[in-house]
Amino acid sequence: MAAAARLKLTILLIGCAVAGLSWVVGQWRALRPALPSEFVRIGVDPSLPPFAFYENETLVGFEIDLAYTLAADIALDIQWVALGFDGLYDALRADRVDLIIAAVSPDPLRRSDALYSRPYYDAGLVLVSANAELVDMSNLAGRKLAYAYGSAAHSEANRWLRRISPFYTHPYEIPSIALDAVRLGAVDAALVSATDMQLYRRNHPAWMPATTSVTHQPFVIAVNPRLGVLAEALDRSLDRLEADGTLAALLRRWLY
Amino acid sequence: MQLPPRPDLRHDADSSTSARANVREVLATTVLRAIVIIFLCTLIVPSPPLVSLTAQQHVQTELPHLCVHTRLMEEVDEWKIQRTLELVRELGAPTIVEFFPWAYLQPERDRYDWASADRIVRHAQNQGIRIIARMGLVPQWARPNEETRQTTLNELPRESYDEFADFVARFAERYQGSIDHLVIWNEPNLSFEWGFRPVSAEEYVAMLREVYAAVKAAVPNTMVLGAPLAPTLEPVGSAAGLNDLLYFEDMYEAGLADVSDGIAMHTYGFTSAPEVVPSANRLNYRRAELLRDIMLRYDDPSPVYVTETGWNDSPRWSMAVAPSRRIAYTLAALDYGENQWDWAEVVCIWVMRFPSPTGTYPDHFTLVTPDFVTSPIYHALQAAARGWADEETLWLPPPDSN
Repeated sequence: MAAAARLKLTILLIGCAVAGLSWVVGQWRALRPALPSEFVRIGVDPSLPPFAFYENETLVGFEIDLAYTLAADIALDIQWVALGFDGLYDALRADRVDLIIAAVSPDPLRRSDALYSRPYYDAGLVLVSANAELVDMSNLAGRKLAYAYGSAAHSEANRWLRRISPFYTHPYEIPSIALDAVRLGAVDAALVSATDMQLYRRNHPAWMPATTSVTHQPFVIAVNPRLGVLAEALDRSLDRLEADGTLAALLRRWLY
Repeated sequence: MQLPPRPDLRHDADSSTSARANVREVLATTVLRAIVIIFLCTLIVPSPPLVSLTAQQHVQTELPHLCVHTRLMEEVDEWKIQRTLELVRELGAPTIVEFFPWAYLQPERDRYDWASADRIVRHAQNQGIRIIARMGLVPQWARPNEETRQTTLNELPRESYDEFADFVARFAERYQGSIDHLVIWNEPNLSFEWGFRPVSAEEYVAMLREVYAAVKAAVPNTMVLGAPLAPTLEPVGSAAGLNDLLYFEDMYEAGLADVSDGIAMHTYGFTSAPEVVPSANRLNYRRAELLRDIMLRYDDPSPVYVTETGWNDSPRWSMAVAPSRRIAYTLAALDYGENQWDWAEVVCIWVMRFPSPTGTYPDHFTLVTPDFVTSPIYHALQAAARGWADEETLWLPPPDSN
């Protein structure tokens, strides 16, 4: 009786192992045949430095380096497809590209057109202050806030003006002047995009203000929906790049 | 009170059968009750928002030329139409331009469906807002047979000109007293807007001639406006379209002045400031003045309706400007139009609001988001139109580094 039970258990374990192995092999083999060619065709918008742009007729930027790193990690070769921003999803839908790495954020209305990866960057608004205690919009009451006139930060400031006790608004023409105002002590804080903040810091490396995220605008990879295996592989690879510090190193190179 | 004796279930076969029947009955009753309760629960759904007309409203403004282009025909919910028009009134814009697609309003040759247009007109009137109606978009039954070749919603074959004219005349009759300005077609100098056929001013004017005659026969005092042209530098022979100045001249050569009461114009600023002097090889706000020059050259002093203008502040479009510039340019453009263009009846901002986001740069033309968040440019325009703008500068000077 015991021997029979052991035999059944052994057969069951072997069956599970075979099924698991065949699933893993299937996933591995499914990735390359799913692509229409030996390359993964990546749609990029080369008009947005420092994410992607041309330098001496060569594509460079954070997203270009990220794509090279991801492709190396999952053993695929790259074919670049340069596109305008408003043509990115059309190219994905028309099967002209396999994925898009072009500072796109998840769009609920396009979920049938794309599978979205986990975020690789957050371009949302940040509160920048020289005062380490002023790290929250709710603490702004009575303080001076700078932002770029007419920008998303302006809208967000208006929203907070309806929520908390009044604060003083200091609109400037562009985000870098709003950050100048913080650095020079003309205001208590500035509300700018994370990218504007990082690029400003490159010009003022000695300046170390407190920075807090206020809104989120995640940048993700949009993958052709028929390439679910590729999307999963990209997610796993992004996890690895974050865990081993590669993603942070790429961000430091281009943004921080 | 005496209770009935309990049946002995252990020994009496009849009692056992009866008990099973009782159980079945109880079960059936319970299921039936559950079904009724579930059914009643399905009836407990939130009622749609009650949309009723308010007391008659009036637009208060110091910019009577201010107008916005709306996109209300694509709205499903009536309350969104009402809310959008409330925001137009609160903005201080006395006029809107709205597109009334022929394909929606006459989906079959013998069937009209005016409901969606009726509710827009009803709410606009209630808010005290004048409508300029743009007409176009061809229903399938009026397009060439799709079995022989593909067509688009912008293809109007010559044999359907009379059908379109009849529709526009019926529209003018239905909304007589409510809508008295009709823009016939949109940007026919673009191949896309002309059903991907080679653009032809002669053909456009031939169509306009039929529409003009039909409308004038139906409602003589309705103003029929020639189509606004897309600002473009496309050369002769281009597959995409034709330079608006060249096309406009061709329209006059074909007799535009005889079949229109006014001209609609589109003039965008792109990356230029509004005061930049126009020239034939540049697209900017004052390009409208070059079109006006052509009108006067052909002895046509009829009024102009700038039905689309504006700047875009998308960080992802090469023809856009910074958000601060967008506001400054738009305010200056309205001021310029008000003071320098005495021939322009209205200057309409493209665009008030989209029903849903486009996900790309056109979203950065809007004044209000799809979920009704008013943008800084909305508030700046409102301050100018309502006379609330008391500061000369929009933003502060850079802080002094000393």
